[in-house]
Amino acid sequence: MNAPPSPQATELTIDDVLTNLVDLPSLPAVVMELLNSIDQEDVDISVLAKKVSYDQALTAKTLRLANSSLYGLQVKVTTIQQAITYLGFQTTRNLITAAAVTGCFAEGQCAGFDHKAFWRHSIATAACAKVLARQMRFNQDYAFTAGLLHDIGRLVLVSCFPQQYERVIGYRAAHDCFPLEAERAVLGIDHVAAGVALAEHWNFSDTMKLAIAHHHDPDTPGAGFLSAIIHIADAVVHALDLAQMADGLVPPVSSVAWQALGLDEEIYLQLFRETELQYDEIAMVLLS
Amino acid sequence: MTANYQHLALALVQPGMTLSDELLDVQGHVLLPQGTVLTEAMITLMPRHGIAALPIVIEAVASQEELAAGIEYHEQRLARLFRRQDPDDDADWATALLRSFVTDYRLGMPQEPVE
Repeated sequence: MNAPPSPQATELTIDDVLTNLVDLPSLPAVVMELLNSIDQEDVDISVLAKKVSYDQALTAKTLRLANSSLYGLQVKVTTIQQAITYLGFQTTRNLITAAAVTGCFAEGQCAGFDHKAFWRHSIATAACAKVLARQMRFNQDYAFTAGLLHDIGRLVLVSCFPQQYERVIGYRAAHDCFPLEAERAVLGIDHVAAGVALAEHWNFSDTMKLAIAHHHDPDTPGAGFLSAIIHIADAVVHALDLAQMADGLVPPVSSVAWQALGLDEEIYLQLFRETELQYDEIAMVLLS
Repeated sequence: MTANYQHLALALVQPGMTLSDELLDVQGHVLLPQGTVLTEAMITLMPRHGIAALPIVIEAVASQEELAAGIEYHEQRLARLFRRQDPDDDADWATALLRSFVTDYRLGMPQEPVE
């Protein structure tokens, strides 16, 4: 669909992204429903549990997560309904989402793009955002999911325009700049715009869309508090070097977001440690 | 809080080492409290809980060379990760603060001034 790649710069527009979105693998319908229900208090859990269990692969991965010893369940859960009973709906929904999304995008189409490192960073950001949210008395479920998906637009670009994205990777290495800058320079659009497009396409809630849209500029009026949480979590995870990327680079931290959270050093030191511990546990299951 | 702490792979953990932090499962239940001196039996049970690494107190006497190597690694790594942060840019104080907190976390609270 996109224009033949020219050797110089490719100016992609958001329309090119939108045209290509339909070719992306879609999430299982029930996962979409789970994501959409994140705002709702009155979800019929038994109906959702039943729908998830129709997807055998997803069920198997979710149950493997639930039965992994990190949850310390005394019994082995064998159905989604059981998992909800023992772990709670929120946790189970997080597990289902994580299991579905981490397996959704094909690997290896774009030379030089490290899918494993991408997910290491996303999982770590999810873990960190969840701890931050608990600290701020904010919805931990929103924070976990937004953390996991904040950079999802990058996977959209990599999947839809693999050759062009190889040039982004080359540009970034040559200029040692932020990936965001390289995307804008080479493609003319960035992973934020692509992420927002996917969020629309997947019918994410407004809260989630805002967080994806503004995780690099949480100062924007109306960006929302979740953007600030994801912004700080993103920077913390880069600083903790959890994705272990050789060319890792900590993005500039918004002083507005930092002030909005208003945490002191002692809390940050706790946050660092807890993030590392939780990341180890979650990554072991999702990336094994 | 223990400032000197190290995330140690299970294979390297030995009986007699001390947990620097309480060991939690994902739901926040305490498996072992902070300060637990690990026994062989406890370490043997860790794989069953899916735990591959433990937060261990760094013994002050434990191999100074390794400690120094670790500090050097973290110093270099932090300098690289924060290579775009300009220490003279006062407007960028939030990034500077994050850098100083992570540095304290990695290197422990100020010990000897290092170049």
